[in-house]
Amino acid sequence: MPSNPLPANLSRLGGCTLTGALSVTSHIHDTVTIIHGPKGCSHHNASLLHAICLDDDRMVMPSLISTALGESEIIFGGEEALRTAIRHAAGQNIRALFVLSTCIVDTIGDDTCAVCAEEYGIPVIPIPTAGFLGGSFQDGMNNALIALAGIAEPCPANGGINLIGEMNLEYEVRENSAEISRLLSLLGLSVNLHFVHDTTFSQLSLLGAARLNILRSPSLIPVGEYLRNRFGTPFIPSFPHGLSDTLAFLEQVADSCGIDGSTAVSSEKSRQDEMFVMGSGLNRLPVVLDRSHTGDEDLRAAGELAARLGITVDSDGNGLCLPVGSAIGTAGTRRMLHRWRRMIHA
Amino acid sequence: MTMKQIALYGKGGIGKSTTSSNLSSALSHRGLSILQIGCDPKRDSTRMLMQGRFIPTVMDLVRVRGESAISLDDVVFTGYNGIRCVEAGGPEPGVGCAGRGIIATFQLLEKFGALKGDVIVYDVLGDVVCGGFAMPMREGYAQEIYLVTSGELMSLYAANNICKAVQRLASRVKSKCRLGGVICNAKGQPREEELVAEFARRVNSTMIQYIPRDHVVQQAEVNQQTVIEYSPDSAQAEHYRSLAQRIMENTRLTIPQPLEIDALESLAREFI
Repeated sequence: MPSNPLPANLSRLGGCTLTGALSVTSHIHDTVTIIHGPKGCSHHNASLLHAICLDDDRMVMPSLISTALGESEIIFGGEEALRTAIRHAAGQNIRALFVLSTCIVDTIGDDTCAVCAEEYGIPVIPIPTAGFLGGSFQDGMNNALIALAGIAEPCPANGGINLIGEMNLEYEVRENSAEISRLLSLLGLSVNLHFVHDTTFSQLSLLGAARLNILRSPSLIPVGEYLRNRFGTPFIPSFPHGLSDTLAFLEQVADSCGIDGSTAVSSEKSRQDEMFVMGSGLNRLPVVLDRSHTGDEDLRAAGELAARLGITVDSDGNGLCLPVGSAIGTAGTRRMLHRWRRMIHA
Repeated sequence: MTMKQIALYGKGGIGKSTTSSNLSSALSHRGLSILQIGCDPKRDSTRMLMQGRFIPTVMDLVRVRGESAISLDDVVFTGYNGIRCVEAGGPEPGVGCAGRGIIATFQLLEKFGALKGDVIVYDVLGDVVCGGFAMPMREGYAQEIYLVTSGELMSLYAANNICKAVQRLASRVKSKCRLGGVICNAKGQPREEELVAEFARRVNSTMIQYIPRDHVVQQAEVNQQTVIEYSPDSAQAEHYRSLAQRIMENTRLTIPQPLEIDALESLAREFI
């Protein structure tokens, strides 16, 4: 039984399982996601997804439906409300439906899977997402990806690469996606499927065709393992963070695909070196790295960048505070450098 | 007099509804205005007060009509000797949340101002299965809890569990919930009265009434009546009247001390 033994634990970081799953299903365009629970569970998530779409200059309302359970459904069971919502949505010219559960329906014991297993004419895919069971945002994302992987059939290899678990709610998701595509193109490789980012339901059938899966982060390893077991596809556990990691990533992808990566690595290295031609303008100041919103990999990438620039990171925490962003690939590191230059010249 | 609110709890099938209905009947003959509320999705608490009729439940009405379309008259039915009867109702077995149904019923009855009269008798489902079924014990509702049990171990076990719930609720700041006593609804096993009396003593309470097993209960039931109505001169009817009197005069309200499971089992062994 999950528990939260520390009163001081504010639990700000784990997130909601439901939102994690939604970050995946809301990116499959010709589908609808039903959130089986009170309407508030849908409202907050719809607001979040909508705001992120706006941030990305896309005027898209996420296709969410709530079963809008009230007290009566809680007392008498919400299965009929779910059935009605599925029938309604299934008639809307879509390819598939996802049904996400919430805390209350898993408390009262609605058999969501059994209702989804009935015949509606299109695939209806249940994803367990009750957050009170202790799962995090990441668990919701992994549950959704594994549920999707379960319906894709093995298919002939096409030599492409899958990007697995791109973080659709992160600020630079498109830039990061483009950077990995660019790095792959240096090796003569291309993306087979974004699993899942800006995807259609039919594209998901290509999941098993890739020669390699590249996970966005190591927290997706359960998904990588599932895909390896199901389709035999090897995986690399993370997008690269920072400069040397990016070169190592190119070698790793090349090795995994049995191709020679030396040209790609040297061309990428020259590209990285160009970043330092104009100097940093930072080297006379003590700096600190703002580690409040960052993971270890990005902090390591930032440290590496500081070292390349010849600037000293003050371990006592005094000096100009430099932001540490997500430093995916060479481009992500360059964006971080750009922000540092703006800080010093501001 | 101030309104007295009592709740009967006990293992399923132990005779809570029979006891409640006969208690309500006996109380009504003392000239008191009685409201009996069945708090069990089985909805059969008040049948014997309603000539065998299953009255519509609060939850059924909410489900069919919606809360706003219900009035007090839709949920309160007048039965034997003017006793007002309410059934909370709830979901079919195996779906939804019956406990939430009890909470919703109480809120609705509260809104209607239905909780009035001289005595309210809450007849509550077998065991305290979740927070919802403890609702009748919460502040503002029943302040006296009566446990209905036989001498069978499983029945004592359920009664002991309810002691735990009463003890926990009694510790809350504003709570006035107390254990009023133990009603022995006998199965007819040897030394049963002694055993239940001793159980009551050990949980820091008293056996307030011993009700022997009597065939007249079944006879009354097949005639869709309480014993008080069907056979008012019987010895059994007298037991129920005695229970009613003792409850009205009861001043010994305690915070129970539930037994550990092995203490309970060794108690049962002593009386085999």
